[in-house]
Amino acid sequence: MKLRPEWSGALVSIDSPLALVSVNRAWARKLGVDDSPRWQGEDPGHLSAPTEVHLVVSRQCSAGCKSCYVDATPKGPALSLDQARAAIDRLAALGVFHIALGGGEAMELPYLFEIARYAREKGLVPNLTTAGLTLTEADAKACSVFGQINVSVDGVGEAYRKARGFDGFPRAVRALELLRKHCRRVGINFVVSRTSYDAMVDVVKLGKSLGLDEVELLRFKPAGRGLATFADENLTDAQARAFFPLVRKLTFRHRIRLKLDCSFAPMVFWHRPSLPVARFFGVVGCVGGDQLASVMPDGAVTGCSFGGPNEASIFDERAVNQAMDTGFEAFRGYVARAPEPCKSCEYLSLCRGGCRVVAKAAGDWWQPDPGCPRVVEHRRVSGGNR
Amino acid sequence: MKHLDDRPRILSVRFGVNPNSSSLGIDVTFLLFGGAAAVLSGLLLSVLLRGRHKVELHGEPKTTEPKS
Repeated sequence: MKLRPEWSGALVSIDSPLALVSVNRAWARKLGVDDSPRWQGEDPGHLSAPTEVHLVVSRQCSAGCKSCYVDATPKGPALSLDQARAAIDRLAALGVFHIALGGGEAMELPYLFEIARYAREKGLVPNLTTAGLTLTEADAKACSVFGQINVSVDGVGEAYRKARGFDGFPRAVRALELLRKHCRRVGINFVVSRTSYDAMVDVVKLGKSLGLDEVELLRFKPAGRGLATFADENLTDAQARAFFPLVRKLTFRHRIRLKLDCSFAPMVFWHRPSLPVARFFGVVGCVGGDQLASVMPDGAVTGCSFGGPNEASIFDERAVNQAMDTGFEAFRGYVARAPEPCKSCEYLSLCRGGCRVVAKAAGDWWQPDPGCPRVVEHRRVSGGNR
Repeated sequence: MKHLDDRPRILSVRFGVNPNSSSLGIDVTFLLFGGAAAVLSGLLLSVLLRGRHKVELHGEPKTTEPKS
């Protein structure tokens, strides 16, 4: 069991069940923390460091998906093995618990497993997202080093080809079968867009039939090559409103865990779930620069993989520490300056105004997420464009 | 700050890990079961934490942190 003191008490990582638990100071004392410098002063309003970091190990990928959010190419930049190790050293020193390795196609990196093993040595849980297109049985065995692996599947059969621009579905399913055989936790990542929305049901059924642990639903983002297609792929207002009820229905009908990415928070909170329960189970919106940060292939530390300022180089200890203490204003600062209708929304402290990257694509980083049904309604009533 | 010190409390929990390398995965499964799930999870986690004695501090104090 690992413990990291925080202003409110401590974060405790337990292995069985695999969970990250936030406890108050009284609990932290019971667990052996007599005092901590982090308990001094006023509440900083954010964690001392992220709980998880997305390590974008490369922007190399030969698949050429038409909406790739990192604009990956076969010759894109990558972290060298030494650079990846140095990044992991820094993240371990910060007390990061999990890293999600991705790209690009991380599996194309010849030293991917060395990175993952090094992360384990340093006490971090490495996780992986892959398209699984070239995965062999030997790769699947080696993947047991990861805490969990998700394979990107954006539709079943023809729907996959339509979403990604090539027919990779049979190879993705083969990868899932191999990973299921050799790894403890396996899931699917499914990008929910206007055109893939109806394929969600089939993908959830696929996940269930393969005996997977979860299906994670990701909102289509206006980043990389996705920026050019966002206008056509962004969810309609009707889809955004119907999304959470559909998730609820699929969860109960197919008895499989469905996870949503943080940008779906407005679509969840529109349906007014219990605020204390949502808080207890960590149902939150944009936590870039707080629970979450990203490291890019050039070492740049950002609040989110999809966007935000370069806060520091991961190779510069002092700059990284400074950023953790006082940086990430583009993410941490939204709640304090939120305009209506976020300002008066009772879920603001959890939702945090939805996705900043989507807001930016609509014209203004500091405006509410335009995909939020509450925002759509507010703008309709006020008759403005914002 | 009394609530941080008066009696041991579990403030929140996130089960599992997030393999998604682009954004934070939020698990809404428990949200669907309401307050009962929170109470049961809190009780279960309290029992689990009480039984753990080997605690390892994770991370190092940052150079910019105040000294205790």
